[in-house]
Amino acid sequence: MSTLMQFLVYGLQLGSVYALLAIGYTMVYGIVGMINFAHGDFLMIGALSTFFLSQAFSSFAVNGTYSGLIVALIIFVAMVGTGLIGVSVEAIAYKPLRNRPKMSALITAVGVSMFLENFPRALPFIGPSPRSFPMLFPAKRFQIQGVMISTTQIIMIVLSLVFMFILYNVVNRTKIGRQMRACSMDKDAAQLMGININRVISITFFVGAALAAASGIFYASIYPQVDVYMGGWLGTKSFIAAVIGGIGDIRGAMLGGFIMGITEILATSVNSNLGYAIGFVILILILLFKPAGIMGKLTIDKV
Amino acid sequence: MSTRMLDVKDLAVSYGMITAVKGVSFNLDEGEIVALIGANGAGKSTILRTISGLEKAKSGSIQFLGKELTRLPAHKIVEAGIAHVPEGRRVFPRLTVKENLMLGANIVKESSIIQQRLERTYQTFPRLKERQSQLAGTLSGGEQQMLALGRALMTGGKLMLLDEPSMGLAPIIVEDIFRIIKEINEAGTSILLIEQNAFLALQTASRAYVLETGLISIEGNSSDLLKDDRVRESYLGA
Ligand SMILES: Nc1ncnc2c1ncn2[C@@H]1O[C@H](COP(=O)(O)OP(=O)(O)OP(=O)(O)O)[C@@H](O)[C@H]1O
Ligand SMILES: [Mg+2]
Repeated sequence: MSTLMQFLVYGLQLGSVYALLAIGYTMVYGIVGMINFAHGDFLMIGALSTFFLSQAFSSFAVNGTYSGLIVALIIFVAMVGTGLIGVSVEAIAYKPLRNRPKMSALITAVGVSMFLENFPRALPFIGPSPRSFPMLFPAKRFQIQGVMISTTQIIMIVLSLVFMFILYNVVNRTKIGRQMRACSMDKDAAQLMGININRVISITFFVGAALAAASGIFYASIYPQVDVYMGGWLGTKSFIAAVIGGIGDIRGAMLGGFIMGITEILATSVNSNLGYAIGFVILILILLFKPAGIMGKLTIDKV
Repeated sequence: MSTRMLDVKDLAVSYGMITAVKGVSFNLDEGEIVALIGANGAGKSTILRTISGLEKAKSGSIQFLGKELTRLPAHKIVEAGIAHVPEGRRVFPRLTVKENLMLGANIVKESSIIQQRLERTYQTFPRLKERQSQLAGTLSGGEQQMLALGRALMTGGKLMLLDEPSMGLAPIIVEDIFRIIKEINEAGTSILLIEQNAFLALQTASRAYVLETGLISIEGNSSDLLKDDRVRESYLGA
């Protein structure tokens, strides 16, 4: 029983990474109608920029650990910076293609992803080699009824739940949230309500990329290594999580992320190869039995 | 002498290679109801969509209260005072009736004005008040049309563009909707009306333009057009 609980802790921790990343896929899909294949790279940008920021702040570190205030500042700057990069990517690469066939945007997104990975790789001060990520969170561990849990894990899980709670309420209870939901249903009608859809789309990319940055910081706090390619397969898994939950639905992305995290940890404990495959197995099962995903409603795509 | 509200001159609009509107001029004075009638595919919706900024004009001008609209983005045109009730109603199906109406007031900042308009809208459409927390997608066609009109009222626009408000509705409900359209007009909103049902359009509007494959072929007072042989033959089924 306590082993199972232990796996659950790890699963929630990994799940919070997937969930935060999956939200961006689902929001962009819901509002713009495209799959942003470069979304995983925002995670990498968040993690890498945190690495450099913490180097810049290294004089504030005592014995390699930072005060809570500095960590909060670093995370904040990394999230906002990555958010702005997300906004720029949309404005430069996707916006000009908005009224073109969906395939153009998809291909562009693949190109953007290659650029975001290989441009920093070519920069001399970044390069291809992995870096070891700093300890941002205190490494205290507690034992509760035979289950080990660290401060990092608690902070990660709680913080990601807080982010998701805020996001959910913004989307469902505020004016900008209502504008987002309107845009996701009918962009023409939204404009006829005086909504500036460019602004709504920019905000969507900002939020998605900022949450991806948080996800990257969290991931690197579990597996403290960052490099320019880390966004690739994490992005793929989170995209699968978003599809499992029902792409376009924010609660679905959160749920899908946690399902992915927990099942991956459980499967890995049985066999490490199974850990890699389990996401795809669940995806196939979901697509067979509930093609629109757990939360998704099947809608006819009007072309 | 009433003021010119809308002045469309030589408007042309195309979708890629297809020119849907080929140089159309018409106008509307403050307080008027003017109808645009024409067969399927004549270009009626395209004209409305271009006025409200959803399509870009290829050439020509659209002046609204002296302001050129052709280069403004759609959301600015709403702010200028044009409320477009689109073809097929286009309510937000997974938002509640009230949320739909609140989106109508999206450009309004003062909550007292929003509240006032909401009350007025509920007075005009008591049915919407009963259904305010219901998802718009679950409303009947007539109710959705009321919601689309209510949403336009909430914008506070001085000119309403109505694209086939009778589409797919039972005759009794059409009668209801048109009674309300006249009420809205009497309360001070000017209306540019598109209708497949030419008889209904000519009964409602003071003037009308007949559109044929992107060009205006006939224009005049509704009472004259009701007697016009070409109109009677092609659009009134007489
Ligand atoms: N998005 C589009 N892309 C290409 N062609 C279009 C598009 N929308 C309309 N058209 C074409 O433009 C012409 C005018 O269409 P429009 O919708 O303005 O006609 P309408 O008078 O409103 O017709 P209806 O009475 O059927 O609503 C038609 O030939 C139509 O096929
Ligand atoms: Mg039409």
